[in-house]
Amino acid sequence: MTGYLLRRLLGLVPVLLAAATLVWLLLFALPGDPARLIAGPRAVDPEVVREVRAEWGLDDPAPVQYARYLARLLRGDLGISYAQTRPVGDILAEHLTPTLTLAVAAMALALVAGVGLGTLAAAHRGRGLDHLVLILALLGASTPVFWLGLLLILTFATWLRWLPVTGYGFDGIVLPLVGVRLPEWRHLVLPALTLALVLAGPLARVTRASVLDVAGTGSLVAARARGVSRGGVLLRHALRRALPPVATVLGLQLASLFGGAVATEFVFAWPGLGKALVRAIALRDLPLVEGCVLLLTAAYVLAALAVDLLLPILDPRIGDPAALQ
Amino acid sequence: MIARGRTRIRVALALASAALPLLVAAGCGARKDKDGADAPAARQVFRFRLREEPPTLDPALMTDNLSESVVMNVHRGLVAMDPATLAVVPAVASSWTVSPDALTLTFHLRDDAVFHNGRAIVAADVLWSFERLLRKETHSPRRWLLEPIRGAAAFADGKAAAIAGLASPDPRTVVVTLERPFAPFLGMLTMAGASIVPREVYEDPEKKYLRAPVGCGPFRVVRYEPASLIEMAAFDRYYGGRPALDSVQVRIIENQVTALQEYRTGGLDSLDEVPGDLPEDVRPEVLRYPLLGVGYIGFNLDRPPFKGNAALRQALNYAVDKDYLWNTLLPGANIPGRGIIPPGVPGYDADLPGYPHDEAKARALLARAGYPSGKGLAPISLWFNTSGDNRRIAEQVQADLRKIGVPLTLREVDWAAFLKAVEGTPQAAGEAQMFRFGWGLDYPDADAVLRPLLHSKNIGPAGNYFRYRNPAFDDLVDRALGLQDPAERAGLYREAERMAVMQDAPWLFLNYFGSMTLFKPYVKGVTPTPLGEFRIPLERLHLEKPAS
Repeated sequence: MTGYLLRRLLGLVPVLLAAATLVWLLLFALPGDPARLIAGPRAVDPEVVREVRAEWGLDDPAPVQYARYLARLLRGDLGISYAQTRPVGDILAEHLTPTLTLAVAAMALALVAGVGLGTLAAAHRGRGLDHLVLILALLGASTPVFWLGLLLILTFATWLRWLPVTGYGFDGIVLPLVGVRLPEWRHLVLPALTLALVLAGPLARVTRASVLDVAGTGSLVAARARGVSRGGVLLRHALRRALPPVATVLGLQLASLFGGAVATEFVFAWPGLGKALVRAIALRDLPLVEGCVLLLTAAYVLAALAVDLLLPILDPRIGDPAALQ
Repeated sequence: MIARGRTRIRVALALASAALPLLVAAGCGARKDKDGADAPAARQVFRFRLREEPPTLDPALMTDNLSESVVMNVHRGLVAMDPATLAVVPAVASSWTVSPDALTLTFHLRDDAVFHNGRAIVAADVLWSFERLLRKETHSPRRWLLEPIRGAAAFADGKAAAIAGLASPDPRTVVVTLERPFAPFLGMLTMAGASIVPREVYEDPEKKYLRAPVGCGPFRVVRYEPASLIEMAAFDRYYGGRPALDSVQVRIIENQVTALQEYRTGGLDSLDEVPGDLPEDVRPEVLRYPLLGVGYIGFNLDRPPFKGNAALRQALNYAVDKDYLWNTLLPGANIPGRGIIPPGVPGYDADLPGYPHDEAKARALLARAGYPSGKGLAPISLWFNTSGDNRRIAEQVQADLRKIGVPLTLREVDWAAFLKAVEGTPQAAGEAQMFRFGWGLDYPDADAVLRPLLHSKNIGPAGNYFRYRNPAFDDLVDRALGLQDPAERAGLYREAERMAVMQDAPWLFLNYFGSMTLFKPYVKGVTPTPLGEFRIPLERLHLEKPAS
């Protein structure tokens, strides 16, 4: 098992390198001069731009810049942000906690709602409740996040005044040892709910399909024949066996939230990674864009690994992934 | 058995589907507790919004108005600008004298000015701060502020160890000698770049001052939450007296719609950059005031069809209905524009005719330009960056010009790509033929708009993107700079402006800037200032919140 884990983690290296190269090429090809942007938004003395370009090595030939960039990455150095002149690692760390807390809270809500409603729909297949869940799932998945976010703000913050409109909250608990500050939970509710409502749709559909898929198999029919109730079969047997596809979707969704919650972050002024990434792209802040993309790539690969490790626990028939290698 | 199973499912599902509303409901309870805890505190906390995190808090690097909102409250220079009268007033220097030949300025420092770290300010701090701005390694885009000082260029180039025209005969006196008489210099010293900073903080190789700046202004930064909050606290030892506000919270909220909801629900005490179509409940809280800025669409005078064709440029100016644009389509703070120097600046010409909307004149000029009814004119590219109302403005201009037969192709790009297409280099023109732009004056002097944007020495990224070259115009602007008599200077600027506007028309003159800012009725002491939305002096504010 340790060997398998090591192999999988080592497999992360070429994926990260490929992502880093792709991002570097894309940003290099984009119109716009980072040195000009570092020099500020106003009209500027071309001499200052030249100095900035020389200091950051932006006047070197492309292969030299690329080689320097790779060498830096291999040393584990993410570099210094052009725009903020601070280490990229520090900036990513600042945005990681808001991103993680939002992602986990949204996923937890989506999991409960998605799996619950999906199972409920499967239990009432073809009946009114099933149709209702399917329509809700479709609505959830197809509603634009920013619109949903604004709707929730208008309802719960502007009209009912139950929850704050935006922000992370400034008095959240600071975790001992690591020193990171968690959001105030009142501030977390609306952004997490917005994302959860969107994520729950696909989860409900996958759960429903998966439960129905296994519901007709022989062992479940046998369980019914033994006198186990329909609900009991669904919960104790079908749902458990139906969970692997759900876990796969869940893993992908969780990873996507690292950079994909941009709209939610903008609407709720949430200081997450997605917003930092969008701003870095606009400013052609190459080191910060690279840092964000590498983190995102790592999140996807690690989420896939976590799902692979989780599957045999959910359904022992899948077997030890290490044994399959 | 069956019934029990169903019940279990129902319980599980009910729990699952109830989780969300439960969470929300729980949130309501906590709000009450929190409010209860907050209520007794009568601290004066003023909260306003920025649409983005300020790019920098270093006064030497600052060029934008978002950074200004913090920097101008944390830092002070030798002199400051009164936000209402726009007069140069004492700051760290309590007084100053100017020699009869206008070359030497002697500043006398006040003895009660201290940095936020408690250290008293002496003349050596002024010298070091000025040297820092000029040093190459600082990469300051505001180096030009101090370039009129004798020997500043040699110091910046590393050819001199000190600035020849800068001396401190004693710890309370700073003597500045200029290369030649330069009328706007004192006004330029009021800008953030000329702030006085403590060497012991700003020599830090780790640049901690980027998040924890130290100045001598009325507020000090006490908290920096990335992309979320910058909190400033009143500085007890501010030489101008402790501000009435205990704390200022600068909240970063990108989305305009949510920011407005935050204001409506009491999460913000002030909000700027508000939409024109405000909800009824907040309309009485709007404060409108003009700003020192001008909006325009630039013509690239080195590219066809505008090269050497003033009649065409004038035709386009007459064809666009500026009144409709700013009074009907986008009603708000902006004022229909006629020229270059905005109202409030000495030299502003209230009688400048500009180009009132006149389709017949536009057609006649178009024919004289060699394109009767637009015949023979290939589509012209109008570039703008994705921001605010740029697209709506561009579409309206496109529609107006189509009426006289001038076809436009709209090119909407992001800021980086826009700058690349527009700025060009001193030698080569940018790709854009027409481009939407604006300019906020750094200080209230006609030189602050005419020189950077239209002097032939600044062609390219230095500001003259239009590549406007007119020796007579350059001469007027250069001559005005050396004059001491304000009326005489203003006269030359008016002449230069008329020449550029009515004769050469390097721009399509669109608007003078204005601002619409919301303030809650309990915010008192608001001084609207043409210097910018974020230059309202916070040290003059206090809150008269009703007890709740």
